[in-house]
Amino acid sequence: MSHEDDTLGGRTRVEEELAGLAARAPEDFAARVLRRVGVPSDRYDTYLWLEAPAGGLFVAWSPEGVTGAAPGSTLSGPRMFEERHHARTGRTAIPTNRALPGLTSALRTGRTARLPIDWREFTPVERAILDAVRGIPRGQLRPLTWVVREASLPDTDAVRTALALNPAPLLIPCHRVTHDEGGACDLACGPETGARLRTAEGITEEMTWLPRSGLVFLGSDTTRVYCHPTCAHARRITPPHRVPFVSADAARTAGYRPCKSCRPIAA
Amino acid sequence: MDATAARLRERLAKDLDDGFTELVRVHATDVHVFLQRVTGSAVEADDLGQETFLRAYTALQGYSTQRRLELRTRAWLLTIAANVWRNHVRSAVRHPVVLTDPERSCDHADDGPGPHERAANASDRDMLVAALGRLPERTRAAVVLRHVIGMSYAEVAEVQNCPVGTVKAQASRGIAALRGVLETDNASAGEVST
Repeated sequence: MSHEDDTLGGRTRVEEELAGLAARAPEDFAARVLRRVGVPSDRYDTYLWLEAPAGGLFVAWSPEGVTGAAPGSTLSGPRMFEERHHARTGRTAIPTNRALPGLTSALRTGRTARLPIDWREFTPVERAILDAVRGIPRGQLRPLTWVVREASLPDTDAVRTALALNPAPLLIPCHRVTHDEGGACDLACGPETGARLRTAEGITEEMTWLPRSGLVFLGSDTTRVYCHPTCAHARRITPPHRVPFVSADAARTAGYRPCKSCRPIAA
Repeated sequence: MDATAARLRERLAKDLDDGFTELVRVHATDVHVFLQRVTGSAVEADDLGQETFLRAYTALQGYSTQRRLELRTRAWLLTIAANVWRNHVRSAVRHPVVLTDPERSCDHADDGPGPHERAANASDRDMLVAALGRLPERTRAAVVLRHVIGMSYAEVAEVQNCPVGTVKAQASRGIAALRGVLETDNASAGEVST
């Protein structure tokens, strides 16, 4: 090999190869260091990247529960997750290779409502709101006023604020909340990521706009029960028996009762 | 990076345990990569890396707030790592480990390739790693700090505790030696294949 083709953009080939030797440390090296040194485990969070729609999900937790999560599509990589996590919580996130118990299966099944969340940094109102959002099943949508009612609040302002503060998108499924007049309400991680999360659960863009086409609630003329249109019970109603309603009042006047699963607002 | 370094120093000064977790987050990779490339073994790098941070923590406990605020954390940590490594090399020479446990000697925990594998896929990268291991210790450390970790010559000089000029000489001597190895190996490989 001659010396002429031995240089690459100012650096020699040997130097290029050497720079390529700088791999990342084993995933759990930092966590093992902290354990060995004896830093108490409540002084830092550990985190992991898990397979999920929208570029996977970074999830961090303390001994109390999940402290933060972010879809991979909203970040440039693990370093950015660590920095954002610190900016938001003031806590250092250390990589690990062992997931919080229950986390992997919660993501696989979509049943995230029972996953422990570290609520220490949140007000009781914020917690009530985000807990209500956790009650929206996978593949379904609920309007803001539904969250207001579930969290026993006077109006939607606090809900908007709390949704924007959502520490753990996907685990606290704020992508399943819509505006009352239709359209997704992606306040935490943006419409693009929100759309990807919804698509992965079989929620189409069209479904978020149903209220605009006059379909706020859907009733069945055989059972005389009305639901949110994405409720599992509403989806089972066969086309000839579908009765759309523009409001709960209209449904009640027609002699229908609210579904006990999706709890439409009876106002 | 400077903002990160300043924040790290502040956290170290304010609360040792909190600052130390940040120190580990920011520098664990540098320490591990340095030790892996000078020792040639990921397993040893793991052990010596733990030892490095343990020493760092003990030292920080004795430092005043002012001293923690002035710490150049990366150079300081890698100085400790380099010392831990040199001590390890010295004691390994004086007290060679005799493997009496047959299970341990058969079941090689080290993840380096065996001699067969090494011959079969002797890529440039593997040859480079092997050649790196044959460099004298100080030269090897200088090459790894400068070209693998990407430190400035001033930082490397701080770690090696010698003038910048000396470090530059060490690094360029090291690079020249590595280039020589790669060229002769490639040349001989070429001769064999044709």
